[in-house]
Parts: sequence; structure tokens; C-alpha cells
Amino acid sequence: MTNRIEAVPHTRRAFRSVARAVLALLRARAFLVLAALLVLFSALAPEFLTTNNLSILTKHVAITALLAIGMTFVVLTGGIDLSVGSIAGLGGMVAGYLLTQGIVVGGSAHFPLVAIVILLSICVCLVVGALNGWLVARAGVAPFIATLGTLYIARGAALLISNGKTFPDLGAAEHGDAAFPAFGQSFILHVPSPVWMMAVLFVVAWIVAVKTPFGRHVYAVGGNERAARLAGIRVPGVKLATYVFSAFCAALVGLIIASQLEAAHPATGESFELNAIAAVVLGGTSLMGGRGSVTGSLIGAFVIGVLADGLVMLGVSEFWQMVIKGVVIVLAVGLDQAQVRLQSKLLPYLEGGR
Amino acid sequence: MPRWRFAPMALAALAVIACNGCHRADQGRKLIFIIVPSQDNPFFKAEADAASARALGLGYRVRVEAHDDDAYRQDNLVDAAIASNAAVLILDNAGADASIAAVRRATKAGIAVFLIDREIEARGIAKAQIISDNDQGARLVAAEFARVLNDTGDYAELLGRESDTNAQVRTRGFHAVLDKFPRLKLVAAQSANWSQSEAFQKTETILQAHGEIVGIIAGNDTMALGAAAAVKSAGLTKIRIVGFDGSPDAVDAIRRGEIQATALQPAVYISKLAVDEADEYLKTGSMGRREEQIIPCDLVTQANSGDYRDFEKVR
Repeated sequence: MTNRIEAVPHTRRAFRSVARAVLALLRARAFLVLAALLVLFSALAPEFLTTNNLSILTKHVAITALLAIGMTFVVLTGGIDLSVGSIAGLGGMVAGYLLTQGIVVGGSAHFPLVAIVILLSICVCLVVGALNGWLVARAGVAPFIATLGTLYIARGAALLISNGKTFPDLGAAEHGDAAFPAFGQSFILHVPSPVWMMAVLFVVAWIVAVKTPFGRHVYAVGGNERAARLAGIRVPGVKLATYVFSAFCAALVGLIIASQLEAAHPATGESFELNAIAAVVLGGTSLMGGRGSVTGSLIGAFVIGVLADGLVMLGVSEFWQMVIKGVVIVLAVGLDQAQVRLQSKLLPYLEGGR
Repeated sequence: MPRWRFAPMALAALAVIACNGCHRADQGRKLIFIIVPSQDNPFFKAEADAASARALGLGYRVRVEAHDDDAYRQDNLVDAAIASNAAVLILDNAGADASIAAVRRATKAGIAVFLIDREIEARGIAKAQIISDNDQGARLVAAEFARVLNDTGDYAELLGRESDTNAQVRTRGFHAVLDKFPRLKLVAAQSANWSQSEAFQKTETILQAHGEIVGIIAGNDTMALGAAAAVKSAGLTKIRIVGFDGSPDAVDAIRRGEIQATALQPAVYISKLAVDEADEYLKTGSMGRREEQIIPCDLVTQANSGDYRDFEKVR
């Protein structure tokens, strides 16, 4: 068999290049799906490819993308974070509380600066993230269960803060400061602030994942936890950091939504975790850990966002939107498995040529 | 002599019964069990609070629970009501068909069931079904919507969760009025699942696809508020928005001119009415009124927005 292939070197070379091309196509599948969706919607909806719409579309994508970027690291370690939607809701409610009720010291309410409100809200969310990390890394609770627990804890806490009510009118000047709406509504160089946050966080996450020892540790923990531990990596610390970072991303999302609506509703963020997980999976990150990329998750978030907004523009009914989204996710994961199988089959041939 | 072995037990049993009796006499008050869909929604909260306050005022014991629109959870709560010997169940149910069995079980156990806000697809089981007139309210809002738009222009509609009866009744009511105006044109209709953030995003996208829109009609106030935030963030001022429910936040937004109108569901009135009727039923043993009672909604606009607070006409 081998002899025969050796005997016809150019056939083997051709086979190898075809295999390489197929693999490259499979690897870029999320990107290809995204490109196809963009072309499709541009053709069907004349207003789709306008600067204004793309700006708004990207702003919508930012919500899912921020969560997906944080989720990527958790998934890379082999974990999962189901609590991000609840944490987003909690972050918004803490901000809403501080803006409308202030901090009561000695019988009178003090209204902190908006920057402090934002910092405090993020801190509360980080505590939940740290709890996730502690439960998973130290207490040895399975990530699915630990974050399912904090999903309920954070949602309950969000409801308790206002006794179930919405904090309305957060843009009004009497609530300490009118700067809060600017957090999620302002434009910097004609680009919406949430898009900036997504861009900055993406660049930071990409550098951390690809260029730093910590990033390699994350991959190592997900790839083979025991090997990572034996190699001297502080596995619990790495895991804790990923959950805290995920909670940070969720906090930003909660604050952006509260700022955009100028209202904090305790049910905000319900089922957001599912969109984030879908984006991560679409981007080719393996739920088993150790394999995937932040770039993939960003593209995955774009696929979900473009699909949602494009279908709304075309006036497709909600029911069909759900079916189509589900089909895209299932197809993407199917292709992912095909890639893995094909890669392991072809690898001997591909490496043999080097 | 061996017969007397049981004496301590009999005495103990007697004591328990007697104590139970004195316990009863001590508490004396009957229990009114209130189940509403959720406590994180201002509408259901106002409904639960009003019923609970009225019942306490009339000297009843009260327990309030939420079923989170989960018929199974509602089932368990109804069991809890039966187990705790409730005299009355005030229920905002978890589904017109899915709730029938639970209501029947409660009635069989001797509990007088009063349904509020949503009806069930069965008659003769509950003592009363007191609901607000969603169809009339929707027509009211739609007529006002047409008026502020001068019967002309393109508009978008945000629907509630499409599997929800009220979402269907309201959109039907809207169109019963709006479709009669040939110059009013529906250019986009999307479900935003009653949610403010979803309505915000979908409105932003709809505004991109249909820049010529002059009005947005929403199936509830939360979605209307989301649409108003999107319109504001797009820098548009001429778009007219109407909602449904009469939530305090929406009434405030109407006062500020961000939303033009809403149909206020008299949730507080309905809750109080249900408790009053339950009280009357417990005292007289009969219902003076027919089972099905439909209470009309009120139109709230900037002109009369000062008259309403927390789902109630206060002036």
C-alpha cells in the first residue's frame, strides 16, 4: 500500500493538498457561514448593508460576544458557566439600586459617582464569579452543577434587591448623575461604546490566550488536567481566574443593557448563557476543553447576531427564527465533529509529507 | 386492666384534638390562598398585594405564592392550598387548558376558587372568573394609536409571546381597529416575548429596515418602553408608541411624553373584587353574581395620566 503511494509521488501530493484544502475549509466553517449569511441578507434586505445598520448589528452582537469571550476560557479549561445571564441581571440591578436608592449611611442616602456605581456593580459580580471558581476548583463541584446553583443564587439576589420591581428612569438627573446612560449608549469615533468594549476585551483575551503563559496553562488544564498538574501548573488558580473573568464579562453586559434601557429589570439576561455557549461552540471550541479559540467565539457571536437581526429585517416569524438558529448550531457542531474525525484520519498522511 | 393500656394514648389524642380546637379558636380566621404568575412583574405584584391587603383587612389569614407560569408548579401549590385547609383560592392561572384539572381538584376539596386576570377553558368549576377585557382594551389603544397618527403612515407591531392567549387576543383587537384605516400600513411585526431588552434590540433593527415608520404598537408596556428607548437612542422624535397594561413605569413615560397611550388593566380593582366576592360567598354560602365577569380597561394618555397609579384609578 505504502509502496504504491510512494511509487506515484505526484498523486500523493495532490491528495495531500486536497486534504489540506478540505481541512482548511472545515476549520474556517464559522467564518464561511458568517460570510454566506452576510451575502444572503445583503441580497434580500436592501437596508442590511448600510453603515448605520452594521453599527447597530455590531452593538447587538457585542452582548453575546462579550459573554462568549469570557465563556471561552471557562470552556477551554473543560468547564462551563451557566450563571452568566443571571450575573448580568444582578450587575444591572446593583447599579440600578445604587443609582436610585444610593448608599444609606446614618439615615441619609448618599449617591455615589457613576464610575463608583459601575465599579461596585462589577465587584458584586466578581464575587459570584469567585464563588463559581471556588466551588469548581477547590470544592470539587462539577462546573455544570456549581454554576447552575449560582444561576439561581444570582437571579434570586437580583430579585431580592428590588423585591421584584424594575428600577426605572436611570437616566434622570435626580438619580445622582445623568452619566449612566452614556456607559452603553455613547459613541466614540462613531462606534457605539459596547462595540469598543467588545473590541478591547477581544484583543486582551486573544493576547492572553495566545501569547501568555497563563493562556497556555488554560489550554493545558483543559487538554489534560492531570498532566497539567504534574507539570507544575496551579490548576485551581487557573480555573478560578477563568470564572472570575467570565463574571466580569457578564457584569459588563448587565451594565450595558441597564444603561441602554435606562432601566434595570431583575429578569434581564435570562437564557443569555445559552447564546454564549452556542457562540463558543459555533466558533469551534470543544466542550471537552483544551481546543478552541477566542477568535472563533467572536465569529460565532457574529453568526448568531447576524442571523437574529437579519431574520427580523426580513420579517421572519419568531418561531422560524428559533428553528433556523437551532439548525445552524446543530450543523456547526456536526461539521466540528467531521473535522476532528477527518483530521485524525488524515494526519499521518499530512505529516508524512513533511 | 389491659384495656387501660390505651388510656394515655386516648388522653393524648383527646388533648391533641382539644388543643387543635383551641388552636382553631385562637386563630379562628380562615385562610385565603393567593397564587399569581410571578413576583418580579409589577402587574402581578400589584395584583397579589391588593388581594392580600384586602383579605388581611377583612380578617383572613393570607398566603401568597407564585407559579412562574409553570402549570406543574401551580399543581403543587394547589396541593399545598388543599393541605393547609384554605377556604378560598384566588388564582391567576398558568394556562387556560393546563389549569382546569388543578382548579377542579381544589373545588372538590371544598375550596372556593376565584380566578382573576386570566380565564380557564371550562365553566362551572370556579366560583368566579374575573378578567379584564383584553379585546376592548386593545381596541381602545388601537383607536388612540390611529388618532395620534392621523390615520396615516407605516407602523410596526411588537407582539407578546406568541403562544400566550393574551398576546393573540390583543393583536386581534389591534387589527380589528387598525385594518379599517387604508392609509395605516403594517410594515413589520415581530414577537419580543414581552421583554424590554428584546423589544429594544428588535426595534433598533426594524427601524433600520423601515426608516419611514411613524408608529409602534406594542402588546405590553414593557415592550413599549423598550421600543421607546430604541427610538430615543436612534435620535428619532416623531415616532408614536402605545402599549398595554398600564404599568407605573409606562404611566410615568406617558406623563413625560415618551409613550402616547396604554390600556390600564384594572388589576387592583379585580383583586379587591375577587376578595370581596369570596368574603360574601363565605358569609352567605352563595354567589350573587355570574361566574364570568369581564371588567373593561381604561385608556391612559398624557391628559389623564395623573389619575392612575399602580394599576389603579386613584382620582
